[in-house]
Amino acid sequence: MLSFLIARQTGVDEPVRLRRAESTRRVLSLELNHDRDVECIHGNGINTIDIEVIEGRYMLSGGSDGVIVIYDLENNSKKPHYTCKAVCTVGRSSRYVHKFSVETVQWYPHDTGMFVSSSFDKTMKVWDTETLKPAEVFQFEGNVYCHHMSPIARKHGLIAVGTKDPKVQLCDLKSGSRIHILQGHRGEVLSVKWSPRYEHILATASTDSRVRVWDVRRASGSLFTLDQHNGDKSKASSESVNTAHDGRVNGLCFTDDGLYLLTAGTDDRMRLWNSATGENTLVNYGKVVNESRKGVKFTVSRGCSPEFVFVPCGSSVAMYGLHTGELVTMLRGHYNNVDCCEFHPDYQELYSGGKDCNILAWVPVLRHPDTEDEGAGSVKGGAQTSVNPAFEDAWSSDED
Amino acid sequence: MNRKRTLMPDAFRTKKRRFGADNLIGNPEHGDVQEGPPDVKATLQYLMTLFPRKLFNDSLPQIVLKHQLYSLHSDKTLVDKQVNELRDQGELLMFQLGFDSDTFALVFSVDYRAKVLAGEAGRATLGTVEKFLDKVLPCCSDLSFSKDKMLKQFLFTDAEITQLVKSGVLTVRDAGSWWLSIPNSGRFTKYFIQGRKAVLGMVKKSKYNEILKTDLEERRTTSHVKLHMKYHVHDIIGAELVECIQTTSGTLLRFVDT
Repeated sequence: MLSFLIARQTGVDEPVRLRRAESTRRVLSLELNHDRDVECIHGNGINTIDIEVIEGRYMLSGGSDGVIVIYDLENNSKKPHYTCKAVCTVGRSSRYVHKFSVETVQWYPHDTGMFVSSSFDKTMKVWDTETLKPAEVFQFEGNVYCHHMSPIARKHGLIAVGTKDPKVQLCDLKSGSRIHILQGHRGEVLSVKWSPRYEHILATASTDSRVRVWDVRRASGSLFTLDQHNGDKSKASSESVNTAHDGRVNGLCFTDDGLYLLTAGTDDRMRLWNSATGENTLVNYGKVVNESRKGVKFTVSRGCSPEFVFVPCGSSVAMYGLHTGELVTMLRGHYNNVDCCEFHPDYQELYSGGKDCNILAWVPVLRHPDTEDEGAGSVKGGAQTSVNPAFEDAWSSDED
Repeated sequence: MNRKRTLMPDAFRTKKRRFGADNLIGNPEHGDVQEGPPDVKATLQYLMTLFPRKLFNDSLPQIVLKHQLYSLHSDKTLVDKQVNELRDQGELLMFQLGFDSDTFALVFSVDYRAKVLAGEAGRATLGTVEKFLDKVLPCCSDLSFSKDKMLKQFLFTDAEITQLVKSGVLTVRDAGSWWLSIPNSGRFTKYFIQGRKAVLGMVKKSKYNEILKTDLEERRTTSHVKLHMKYHVHDIIGAELVECIQTTSGTLLRFVDT
């Protein structure tokens, strides 16, 4: 660590190298911290979490009871022990609360004045954070599984919505219209994600085992479908030709630079794809247990090198190396199934929510103070290198 | 400068080890983590020795399943890459056994050729099979063949295709396409599935659904388990049907309920 600091100081290394090294070290040491708590408001399981991108201070959560809560993650008390308090909630007593479970929530990408939530009551509501009243309600024919707004869009204000209907609907925030639909899937659309690199590229995942990548400016269908065998038709049985998974595809996540797309399916596999060509990079993560009937919300770390994927796996969160596919660790702490997780890029913290109504914060372990330098220890004639200060011989000297 | 090219994780190699029992670093039997990249060929040869040849009267080549390699090496992606390299070089052949779309069997090409030709000796289909082995296998490393491909690319006639299916080198996949297969491998598949079920049953019946790996290997096998116990143990670990937990008394296998 000191070598990184000195290298940055003298100009041998770029500043970003030190930042990445320290971020990676912190992510590798994520642990449950008894100093950090998130207030328990939800009475039922938590389906979705979102942390706003501007300050990284406020977190939205949506639960199975239709309740939406906003938490303040910043620690303003001077004490290390801190409970993230709920700033405001859209509770069961509100007139505008969702009737059934809230499946996805997302902050408006450009400021925290607005957020969008979609629910199994077949509506998607655009809320004003100040008054906690919906500014706009979009009605659909089937359960809404997920929605996503592009985090980088400047030219459009489209929200992509995945519902029980095989057609992906695009709702425009600026005009309120929803005439734009993307046709191509043959089953329910379980997950939609915009690319963080190009504001017109959208990826959608469906129960027909296919993942399609669209350019919304194009009138005709999708750009391409992800094929797990990379066009090698001989490898699988004829039904699974041109499919991304052998079962329902229920999780999508782009990496932060938008170059890779991760998909998770009910065939207990997770695959990493090159998002430009649609090629399966064939990274083998092994068995990633996935029994979810709805979408699985997983996330990728940001600012580290190498990157890590955090996937909810049963009642723990599994952490894999993104490009190597090896399981780094399992974060255990929830009492029941974990449904969603979200990574806080500035502090390298992970928040995960699940059916046990808890949101757990996984915080990097603070560095322990180093013991005496190894070199000096061995000079003392074969003494142990790390001696507990309580047992150190502090009064006899070596000279006599 | 060299400094700029080194990967970040080198700085954290010592810190990564602190995760204790949760860390799923590979089998101490092979000490693979300390060495450099995994040597898949050597592992394959070791696993091939576990295959019982006389059980099938020496008519089958030694078969290893791809996921058995995962039980001996921790990095699955590297293992996959090396297997694909060996297949491209023509040394290794991969087959779909048919009971699971994700399970692949690996056989060394030399073994396969020898056994197939030995099995065909004296039969009328020998000529066609030889032609198939010489023409198709060296250039095309596919798992299945479609009718188009057989007729147009490799110039086989319908009658010849029927002979190949009769000899067991091709198995029907669906109308107009065939899997590449190992002749007489039906018995192997049957014993394998039976044995896997029996071994998993042993793990399930143990107290708390878990058993030490060394204990399992020493258990007396019932008549249902015809292949070597270690072969089955590698199989269930690699297919992630049991969870591998490192304890102070060795590796513990815990049944995974899915």
